[in-house]
Amino acid sequence: MRTDERPAVPAMGAGAGRRSETDMGQTLTTCTFCGVGCGIYLEAANDRVTGAYPSLSHPTNRGRICVRGWHVHEVASSPERLRSPLLRRGGRLVEATWDEALGYIVGRIKEIRARYGPDALAFFNMPRCSNEESYLLQKLARAVMGTNNVDHGSGPYCNNSINVLRDMLGVSATTNSIGELFRSDAIVVDGVDLGMQLPTIGGIVIRAKLDGAKLIVIDPRRHLLAEHADYFLQVRPGTEALVYAAMAKVIVDRGLMNQSFVKTHCRDYDAFVAAVGRLDLLGAAEASGVAPELIEGAALAYGRARAAAWLYSTGVEARNEDSIRSAVNLVLLTGNVGRPGAGVYALTEHNNLQGVCDMGVSPQWLPGYRDVADATARRTFEQAWDTPLPAQPGLGARDMFENGKGSTVKALWLSRYDPVTSAASNNVADVLARMELVVVQHLFPVAAAEQAHVVLPVVAYGEEEVSFTSTDRRIQLARQVLPSPDGPMPVWRQLMFLARSLGAGWAYESSARVMDEISRVVPDYSGVSHENLGRDYGRQWPCTKDRPLGTPYLFDTGIPGRCFRFRAVAPPAEVALQPAGYPFALIFGHSLYYWHQNVLVKHSETLRRELRVLLLDYPEGFVEISDEDAAALKIRDGGRIRLVAEKGTALTTARVAREVRSGTIYVPFFVREVARDLTGRARSGLGDLDEPVFVRLERVDSQ
Amino acid sequence: MSSTENIYLPKVVQLDRVVDEIHEVRTFVWHFEDPVDQAAFKKFRPGQFAQVSIFGAGEFPASLPPSPTENEMFFTIRTVGGCTAALHRLQPGDRFAVRGPYGNGFPMDDYAGKNLVFVAGGIGLIPLRSCIVYALAHRERYQRIQIYYGARTPRELMYLSNLRAWEQAAEIECQLTVDRASDGWTGNMGVVGSLFKRPGVRVPVENTIAFVCGPPVMFRFVIRDLLDMGFREDQIMSTLERYMKCGVGKCGHCCIGVAYVCVDGPVFTYEQIKKLGEDI
Amino acid sequence: MRARVIDQADVLKLVDLLRQDRQVIAPFCGRGRDSYFDVVTDVNRDRIRLHVPNPLYPPKRCVLPHIERMMRMRRAAGGLWNFEPDYAETPLALFGVRSCDVAGVRHLDRFYLGREYVDAYYERRRRNLFVVNMVCTDPEVDIDDNCFCVCADTGPAARDAFDLQLMDLGGGEYLVVAGTAAGENLFSAPFFRPATAAHVERRRAILTEVRGRFRSTTSWFAATVRYISRGDVLDETWEEIGNRCLECGACTFICPACTCFTVSDRRIGKDEYERVRMWDSCALKGFTRMAGGFNPRRAVHDRRNRRFFRKLAHYFIQRELSMACVGCGRCAAVCHGDVGMPSVVEMIRRATAIAVPPTAESASVPSEKVTA
Repeated sequence: MRTDERPAVPAMGAGAGRRSETDMGQTLTTCTFCGVGCGIYLEAANDRVTGAYPSLSHPTNRGRICVRGWHVHEVASSPERLRSPLLRRGGRLVEATWDEALGYIVGRIKEIRARYGPDALAFFNMPRCSNEESYLLQKLARAVMGTNNVDHGSGPYCNNSINVLRDMLGVSATTNSIGELFRSDAIVVDGVDLGMQLPTIGGIVIRAKLDGAKLIVIDPRRHLLAEHADYFLQVRPGTEALVYAAMAKVIVDRGLMNQSFVKTHCRDYDAFVAAVGRLDLLGAAEASGVAPELIEGAALAYGRARAAAWLYSTGVEARNEDSIRSAVNLVLLTGNVGRPGAGVYALTEHNNLQGVCDMGVSPQWLPGYRDVADATARRTFEQAWDTPLPAQPGLGARDMFENGKGSTVKALWLSRYDPVTSAASNNVADVLARMELVVVQHLFPVAAAEQAHVVLPVVAYGEEEVSFTSTDRRIQLARQVLPSPDGPMPVWRQLMFLARSLGAGWAYESSARVMDEISRVVPDYSGVSHENLGRDYGRQWPCTKDRPLGTPYLFDTGIPGRCFRFRAVAPPAEVALQPAGYPFALIFGHSLYYWHQNVLVKHSETLRRELRVLLLDYPEGFVEISDEDAAALKIRDGGRIRLVAEKGTALTTARVAREVRSGTIYVPFFVREVARDLTGRARSGLGDLDEPVFVRLERVDSQ
Repeated sequence: MSSTENIYLPKVVQLDRVVDEIHEVRTFVWHFEDPVDQAAFKKFRPGQFAQVSIFGAGEFPASLPPSPTENEMFFTIRTVGGCTAALHRLQPGDRFAVRGPYGNGFPMDDYAGKNLVFVAGGIGLIPLRSCIVYALAHRERYQRIQIYYGARTPRELMYLSNLRAWEQAAEIECQLTVDRASDGWTGNMGVVGSLFKRPGVRVPVENTIAFVCGPPVMFRFVIRDLLDMGFREDQIMSTLERYMKCGVGKCGHCCIGVAYVCVDGPVFTYEQIKKLGEDI
Repeated sequence: MRARVIDQADVLKLVDLLRQDRQVIAPFCGRGRDSYFDVVTDVNRDRIRLHVPNPLYPPKRCVLPHIERMMRMRRAAGGLWNFEPDYAETPLALFGVRSCDVAGVRHLDRFYLGREYVDAYYERRRRNLFVVNMVCTDPEVDIDDNCFCVCADTGPAARDAFDLQLMDLGGGEYLVVAGTAAGENLFSAPFFRPATAAHVERRRAILTEVRGRFRSTTSWFAATVRYISRGDVLDETWEEIGNRCLECGACTFICPACTCFTVSDRRIGKDEYERVRMWDSCALKGFTRMAGGFNPRRAVHDRRNRRFFRKLAHYFIQRELSMACVGCGRCAAVCHGDVGMPSVVEMIRRATAIAVPPTAESASVPSEKVTA
């Protein structure tokens, strides 16, 4: 890979003779590290980003950003990036021109489609991809290729949330705004470590608590926000639904439900309340490991609050549907929808998970969450795109890379997605090896690129103007602050050239024109344009012709009829009993150390130092055990331990962490051998909610 | 208007030869390309350190184990991270870069007329080697010179050839020990502090300077032993280690309490260590 | 100090004058209440705003950039390597910088140019810097609730370390004071006229009035400096502060008196590397982590302790002739958990006063803390 000589990183202002007319020295833009979408300014000089700092006036972050945002300039200026298309010739990747690379791809795609049919092609991207490129990727797959094999790389984890929210609320996103949390009288932080994952929201919650809001934290881990909680419910993992049901029972028994809201706006209440009535409160407390008075206190605090917000994570950490249903039941029970300071926050940890889902990067949904199997929905798009569309739902990323269901696929398009590193299973390399065509679009030479037939370099943050949708539905622009570099091309433009080469008449002069088309086919985006987004601080959807300023909280103009519904959740037939002799329950975690694997973090020395240092401290991997358990078993931090399950044994290193719940062991997702050794197969993470794994813990004495 | 010299610019050096010491530890013998740089550097004091740059890897601090009275310049480095690993991959003839010497060093000349007691554990002998060799090169200035040195196993004893010579030499009293014996070790066993209590061993306290360097646990126990023997806190010297980036008191990484280890140290008396304002 | 008067309408002419041989950096409005310093060009010159909330991104980066290249290392013939330092030689003028930030530059001067070694990169940038201080006079715009320069004794008007000082006297007139010969040299321009006693009296009256408009006017640092210097602050207080810290580093990055940086070597060509230095923060866990894993400040409350010790301990105040806090209030604005300087000083004062009975000791404070 060729690396160009880079101009000096100048101090602020140096060399300003080369400034452009639009005066791009200091540009307000959006940080794209996570789903909060903080407003930041980038400083640029001499074709490099030289500084980054927060926007004081941005309604979400109000002058605050996290350590990742403070190092955007370091990542943006990394010399490691790809600069030229690469084509595999004679077993090696060599530099090629764009014409050569695209020409090769087009030829192969045509052959593969002719031989195997359109479903032999699959297109995957990441929730870091912009709205424009995501929209075009699924359009390419559906309208040009004729397949619904399109998905994003963290696919399975958010679908549960989308399904449940659509079912119960009629909308699949966070109902309120992050900036409103200071108006909440009670905030529930449910199963998400805000301090590590979404620090800006963590800070807002801490400040709300300092201002008098009641903070309820439900989590097996005692993380930073738990230290501030008025009620910290350290649940036994997998029993959250019991806790929510118990809270519902307390609220119903005390008559704290919002009667008028329930009667006016909700269906199926009776079935729900009947199920609640059957719950044995003390039994639920016992099974979940949370003291009944704590459950009661939390329920009363939530039920009595004038406006209460419920925060949970959809992105990297999976939740099963029943668990989310139980939580949403509580939100409806207390009428916490349609008011400022209230709401349910289905937090997206990836910066554009919301946008990517909105854009229909899904094997089962068209843009705007219309079902591909729904003929009426398909017809709308067939008219808009002027081509017939496939009706069969397609293959998702998890089925492709983790469940071994991708045997019919022969060609893979990976857009900023490196499944070799990110997917939870071990055999992605085998899957890639079977492909007749692998195309990787990326910024850096990632692992998947080593098996690609074609590697296409993309532009970096700040080198194009595209939009992203934050976790609170805020569609914002990430501005161009640097001239487009020679060599790399924006992803959306690469997709456009590919489509044209395959015969589709795509002609978008700019990313703004792509957004114009999006606004014509996605109703909640119908008032969106880059120009509109560029004023103020983006727009929260629904942003329509009638609501050009967007919608800070949903249902602000009123709730149409009885559009919400309760869902009675049967309590689990039995909480999986721990077999005698195996006193520890394993928690397989995805989100907590997610940022270790983040490709941007890897290319910043400071972020690498801060977020990946555990990989150095525990070079052979680790699992976390609580300090109480460590003391009882005389296991020291860094000591070797053996986990013994019914089906297998794993040898690993102990990291002693006081946040861990006694009786549980936390297994970070990248320590794959442990899962494999204990269950006999590569585990796909929490999405697999089959039987929990119980182990006993043995110290391995060093010789 | 002249500008000051740029303290951050290193000078190119060439690697002469590499000597394997103990597991993961090697000695790298080098010289400056420019004899003027070599002559200037040779005025370093025992206990000082230098900043070492390996091209493409980065820069890290390294103690100076040679005495300024010796001819050769060398470092003794253990592989712990990316930079040190890159150094370990160099071959004789390769270039790297050095700047320094930095730090306060041990005021060996102030100790004239005193007894010198060196207590070291493991690789803690590396920085003290400079003082020992210097003292022996100016033997007439000092009274009794004693070395108490230990490692976990015989294979982890540093500078074995020096140790053997010191054990034999009449002008220096050298006692060695290991925690665990192996390879036919017939010498003392036990922690370094156990050497003080061996029959026939007398550690002078009056008019004595004690130099202590080793892992944190060893350090704590030896300090306790010395204080129990009657040493005052200002008679005990040590050299502290911290993560460093600039070596010249600007980047802030090495600061402990009120002291910047790279300029106020790395050599401190135990009295100073206690008053830093932060635990070490 | 020599004083002149200039019409408000002519202030931009001063900018033009400076632009003849310098790059001028001045304040502009961003969106909402955002403001920033940026390079003045023909395009944006008319948008310069001197009365504006103090820009969040600190102007210290004119002398200590967020990221700068220190040198290039290039392999030459025969296996040798060349080091080429990169110096910034562009003459700059910081126009409209607040008194708190001027105090910050003075503090940085003592740190980077004084002490054991002189920092060559800082020295060259500083030598090429012309400082035009703007006194804060508009309580609605210039000052916000977070400002406490009067407590840190750095404002609203800087006493030194500027070349020129501008002060809006109202009525379309600005008072201009020269702090150096370089500043005084500009007085030959035709748009300056002499200042009268009435102008000076007007300045005095405005300063008195403005001082009274700060939210807090008493200096509450003294007690906290004492507690910190003596090591009297309770562990529980540090833990409480630590629990509110999200380890973002912002307090360090925006602080005009913070100096720490890290150094990184990066490949830029086939046999060529650049060594850059970038702002770093003792708030971050990895700041003190040594290769091999030992980290003396692993716990977040130990790092909070460290920060405020470095800022307020008597030892450093004596050595650097000023507190490492200029009262700009930015740390309060950027902190997620509300543990910027004002909150922490308050928390320490309250918690420690209860725990430590007042003594009759004199003002001279021993700086050391005896540890076990």
